[in-house]
This record gives sequence, structure tokens and C-alpha cells, in this order.
Amino acid sequence: MIPRTAPTGPAEALAAALTAEYAAIWAYGPIGVRLTDAARTAARAAEAAHRARRDALILQLSSGGGQVPADRAGYALPYPVNDRASALKLAIEIEERTAGFWRAALPHTTGADRNRALAALTDCALRATRWRRTARVTPLTVPFPGRPT
Amino acid sequence: MVAGGATVALTGCDLFDDDDEPPAPDPLEPLAAESAALAAQHRAALAADPSLADRLTPIADAHQAHADELRRVIGRPAPSGTPAGAPPASGAAEPDGLLAELQAAEQTGRENAAKACAAAPAERAALLGSIAAARATHLEALK
Repeated sequence: MIPRTAPTGPAEALAAALTAEYAAIWAYGPIGVRLTDAARTAARAAEAAHRARRDALILQLSSGGGQVPADRAGYALPYPVNDRASALKLAIEIEERTAGFWRAALPHTTGADRNRALAALTDCALRATRWRRTARVTPLTVPFPGRPT
Repeated sequence: MVAGGATVALTGCDLFDDDDEPPAPDPLEPLAAESAALAAQHRAALAADPSLADRLTPIADAHQAHADELRRVIGRPAPSGTPAGAPPASGAAEPDGLLAELQAAEQTGRENAAKACAAAPAERAALLGSIAAARATHLEALK
């Protein structure tokens, strides 16, 4: 779920976070169609937040002259997402996973870049908590958001 | 000592140590103390209102885990004279009052942890980021 290899520098860490954001945006497609009402609205808002992080990362990486990884055409779901329960499970997991990539960027950044990474980590952790509440998963929180388990 | 000032400066502690004796406290000491205090505050609140146990126990445990991990990273035992107790749950027997106090403490704690993360060397940044994010989720879970 969490980064497979530790990044070796700021550009690598942010590029890894970008690939995680691509995957999150993609995942909210199958998630959203299995949700209704407030949960569907929340999924749309989450997807929009991940798109904003993606766009900011692409801008940052390209203006820094670094490699900007491309999105993939598609992703394999870890399990079938065919009802509300599996959609909420994936939503929790995708936020936990993305939090892990942003956490991994913290040691490789300073100043405003680190603050942005922390804001992104915190947003992912907050959405994971809200999805746990929607799914009636307890506890609602984990002790160390984003830390590899 | 008075007469041999110049010699003392060369052979005394100054050559290898900074002036301050004992060593300066670790910059994470306030955060470690805050984690311990937050754990105690949540435990006091759930003692005052056991109906909150399901919500508050995991949060109290998380703060204790943060305190333990910060202590490990600091690498020194807590300074003596650190008050172990929590700010007392101020007689607010109403659950809403208790929760409001906890929310205020989590909000302050979240800001303190974010500042510590911003100022930290690389090897401490991830831990402090997780603690800041955790405190934000506590605030959410207390809503």
C-alpha cells in the first residue's frame, strides 16, 4: 500500500506522490459510481482535491526541469468494486496509500514544499477518517497516518 | 579560577562543548510533553464520561504512542520535574463541554506539530508530519 522504495531526493519524492495522485484520481471513478447521495458528493469532492494536487505537482515538477511521470492508461483494482461496501473500502485504502507517498516526501522537502506535502498528507488522512465514518469502520483514526505498516 | 581565566578557556569545557551546561533541551521536548498531556486529558475525559470511551480510547492511545515515539527519537528520558498530570478536565460534566475542550486542545496541538514538522531536520520530518496529521484527524473524529 505504501511506497515500495524510499525516494532518494525531492524530485523523486514528488514524482512518486504524483503517481499516487494519478492512481487516486482513477480510483474515484469506480468508487463514485457505487455511491449515492452525500457519499457520492464526497467522492466527487475528493477526486477534485486529488486533481488539484496532481495539477500543482505537474506544474512544480515541470517548472523545476525534472521528469514528470505520465499517467497510466488504467489500473488494476485490488478487488472487485461492485457495491457500496467495496467502494468505501477502496476509498479508505486509496487515501491511506496516497498519505504514505506524501509522508515519504516530507524528509526530502523543506520550507513551502514541506508545508505543501504536510497539507496533502493531512488532507488524505482527514478523508480516510471521514470515509471510515461513512463506512462505520472503527476506530476512525490511525496513530501514525501514512506510516508504512 | 579567577586568576587562570585564559587557561581555563582552553582546557575547560569550552573546547568541546557549548557554553550551556546541562545540554540544551531537545526541541521536541515541548511536543513530547504535549502528547503526554493530550493522552492524559483524553483519559480524564473518558473517566468523567464513560459513554465517550469508544471514541476517546483510540485517541488517548494514539497520543501515548506519539509520546513514546518522540521520547525514543529524543533519546533521553523525560526531564525531571515535568508535570505528569493533565490539565484537569475542568468540571465540564456535559459531554459537549468535554468534547469542546478536547477539540480546542487538538487544534492547538495540530498547529504545534505542523510548526515542529516545518522546522525539523529531515530525519524527524515524517514522524512529526504523521503526528500533525493524526491530531487533525482527532479533531475530525471528535466532531
